[in-house]
Amino acid sequence: MTLADYLPLALMGILAAGFVAVSLVASRLFSPNRPTPEKLAPYECGIIPETEATQRFPVKFYLVAMLFVIFDVEIVFLFAWATRWLELGWYGIAAAGLFTLFVLETLVYVWKRGALDWNVKTSGPLPA
Amino acid sequence: MQIDWLAIAPEIVVAVTILGVLAADLVLPRPLKYWTATLAVVGLTLAVVPLILMAASSVETRSLFEGSYVVDDFALVLKGLFLIAGYLVVLMSVSYIESDRYYQGEYYLLLLSSVLGSLVIASARDLIVLFIGVELTTGPLFMLAGWRKGDIRSNEASLKFFILGVLSTAILLWGMAMLYGVSGEVRFDQIRSALADPSPAAQPLVGLAILFVLVGFAFKVSAVPFHFWAPDTYEGAPTPVTAYLSVSSKAAGFVALFVTVYVALRDRVDIWGPGLWALAALSMTIGNLAALRQSNIVRLLAYSSIAQAGFMLVPFAAASVAGEQLAEGLAATVVYLVIYALMNLGAFAVVIQGARRTGTGDIDGWAGLGRIDPRLGVLAAVFFFSLAGIPPLAGWFAKFVMFRAAIAAGSAAATSLAVIAAINAVIALYYYARVAKVVWFDEAPAGAEPATEPPAASLALTLGIAAVATVVVGVFPAVFAVFGEATRVLLASG
Amino acid sequence: MILPQFLILAAALFSLGVYGLLVRRNAVMVLLAVELMLAAVNINLVAFEAALRTSQAVGQVFAIFVITVAAAEVGIGLAIVLMIFRNRQSANVDEFDLMKW
Repeated sequence: MTLADYLPLALMGILAAGFVAVSLVASRLFSPNRPTPEKLAPYECGIIPETEATQRFPVKFYLVAMLFVIFDVEIVFLFAWATRWLELGWYGIAAAGLFTLFVLETLVYVWKRGALDWNVKTSGPLPA
Repeated sequence: MQIDWLAIAPEIVVAVTILGVLAADLVLPRPLKYWTATLAVVGLTLAVVPLILMAASSVETRSLFEGSYVVDDFALVLKGLFLIAGYLVVLMSVSYIESDRYYQGEYYLLLLSSVLGSLVIASARDLIVLFIGVELTTGPLFMLAGWRKGDIRSNEASLKFFILGVLSTAILLWGMAMLYGVSGEVRFDQIRSALADPSPAAQPLVGLAILFVLVGFAFKVSAVPFHFWAPDTYEGAPTPVTAYLSVSSKAAGFVALFVTVYVALRDRVDIWGPGLWALAALSMTIGNLAALRQSNIVRLLAYSSIAQAGFMLVPFAAASVAGEQLAEGLAATVVYLVIYALMNLGAFAVVIQGARRTGTGDIDGWAGLGRIDPRLGVLAAVFFFSLAGIPPLAGWFAKFVMFRAAIAAGSAAATSLAVIAAINAVIALYYYARVAKVVWFDEAPAGAEPATEPPAASLALTLGIAAVATVVVGVFPAVFAVFGEATRVLLASG
Repeated sequence: MILPQFLILAAALFSLGVYGLLVRRNAVMVLLAVELMLAAVNINLVAFEAALRTSQAVGQVFAIFVITVAAAEVGIGLAIVLMIFRNRQSANVDEFDLMKW
C-alpha cells in the first residue's frame, strides 16, 4: 500500500469530524437557550436524583469482584489443556481434573467463610 | 508419561498438607484451630522422609519433565534447609499467633505455600518453573508481613514489601523474557548452549537481559543498593514472619540467583561476575555501617542480615570475578547460607522471648536480661557471637570457609573482596557484642524480678534445636564436608 | 514478522509502568502501573514466540503463567490497600512514613 491508498480513509475522517463540528456550532447558533432547573437535571422526566452519581461503592462489591477476577483467570490453564486434550489423553484429563479439584476446594472455602454473602452488614473481618 | 514420583514427593506432601490445612481451618471450631499448626508440623516432618530416602539411594540425579525439574544433591541439601527452617518458624509462630488471636489457619496455609515455593526453586532448571517458585515464595509473604491488621506499622511493612516485591518481579520477568528472546529456549541447559555463540546483533541484548535478572534477584535478597524495603518490612512484620523473611525467603532468592547464573549463564561470567562483586562489597559495608546506628533489636538484625548476605556472596563473587573455581566458591556460599539460617533463626527466637520478657524491642531496654533470665541471656550471647563469627560457634566456620574460598580464587579483585570482608567482620563484631554487653553487664532496671515462668514449649524447642545446631556445627564442622560434593554434582549436570 | 515494533511497544509500556510506579500517589494507581509492566512482559514473550516459531509454544505458556500470577498479585495488592484504607482512611502511598524508607 502506498500513501495515496489511505486518501479515502483520510477524507472519511475529515468528513466525520466536519459533520460533528458543523452540527455543534449550528445548534449553538440557532437554538434558543432558556434553561430552567428541571431542564438541567440529569433526567428531565422521572425520579429526582438524591445523591451524586460518582458515589463510592460498598466494599463487598469489591471483594466479590476480586474473587471473580482470580477464579476467572485461573481457568486460563484449562485453555492450554483444551487445545491439546486429545493428544494428552487420560494423563491430561487427570491433571486438569486435579487442578479443577484444587480450584473447587478454594471456592468452597471462600463460600463457607461468607465472602460471597451479599447480606453481611459489617465491613469488618470475615466471620470465623 | 513417566514420572519419578519419589523425586517430587516432598512437594506433593507439602501441597497435600496445604489443602488439608485449608479444609481443617474450615471445619474446626475456633478453640480447636491450633490443630492447623499441628497439621503443618506433621506435614513438614513427613516431607523430610522422601528427602532422606533420596539422599540414601544410589541415584545421583533425578531429572523430570524433560530436564525442567532436577533433583540432585544440591537441591536435596537446600530442600532440607527450607523444610527445617519452615519447621522452626512454625514452632516459633505457635505461641505468638495464638496469644494475639490472629487468623491461625490462614497463617499456616500461607507459610506452607511459601515453603512449597522455595522447594520448587531448589529444583527449578527452567525459567517458567523458577518464576513460579519465586512467586509462590514471596506472594504469601506480602500478606504475612501485614498480619497484624490493626497495626499501622504492620500495614506499612506489608505495602512497602508488596510494591518493591512486584517491581522486582516485573524487572526479573523482563530479563527472563529477554533471555528467552535471545536464546529461544526456557530450559537452562538449552539457554546455555544457545548463548555459547550468539549472533553479534544479540550481544547487547544478552548483557541487558543478565543485568535485569541480576537486579530482580538483588531486590529479592535485599542486597545493597536494592535493600531499602528490608528494614521497614522487618520492623513492622510480626517477628516470626521477619525470621522467615530474613532466612528462608532470602535463601530462596539466593538459590534462584545461583541456579540461574550458574547453570544457564555460566559462560557469561564476564557480565555477572563484576555485578556480584559490587553487590557483595556494597551489602557488607553499607549493611554493617547502618547496623551500628540501630537502637531497635529487630532493625539491627535487619541490617545485620543485609550485611550477612554480603558475606554470603563473597566466595561465589570472588570465584566469578577470578573466573575459576566456581564450584568451590558456590559450595562455600551454600555452607555459609545453611549456617546463617540456623543461627539467625535462633537469634530471632531469642528476640521473641526477650521482647516478651522485657516488653520492649529497644536494645537498651534489655539491660540486665542475663540476670533476670540467665538461660535466655546465655542463648542471646551464643547466637549473637555466632553471627559475629567467634569460635567455637558455627558462625566462625562459615567465615572460615568464606575467607578460604575467596583467597583460593586468587585474582586481585577476589583478594580485595576478601580484605573488604575482613574489615567488615571486625565492624560487625562491635554491634553484635554490644547486645551481649547490654544483656550481661548493664544494670537491670529497678524492680525487675528473676523470671519464673518458662517460655512456651514450642519456642523453647526452637531455641534448643537452633542452639544445639550452632554449637555442634562449630565444634564438628566436618558434618559440612558433604556440601562440597553437592555443588560439584550441579557443575556436572549443568 | 515485525518484531522490533512489538519490542518498542513493550519497552514503552514497561517504562510507563515504572514511571507510574514511582510518581503516582494513590496505591490503586501504583497497582495499575504494575499491571502495565507485566503486560509489557507478556507482549515481549508472545512477540518473541511468534518471531522464533518454537515448536512447543513456550513463550505463550510463559505468558499464561505471568497472567495468572499477575491476577493473584493484584488480588493481594488490593487486599493490602483495603486493609490500609480501613485503618487510615487514605490510600496515598507517600503518607506511609512512620518508618524511614
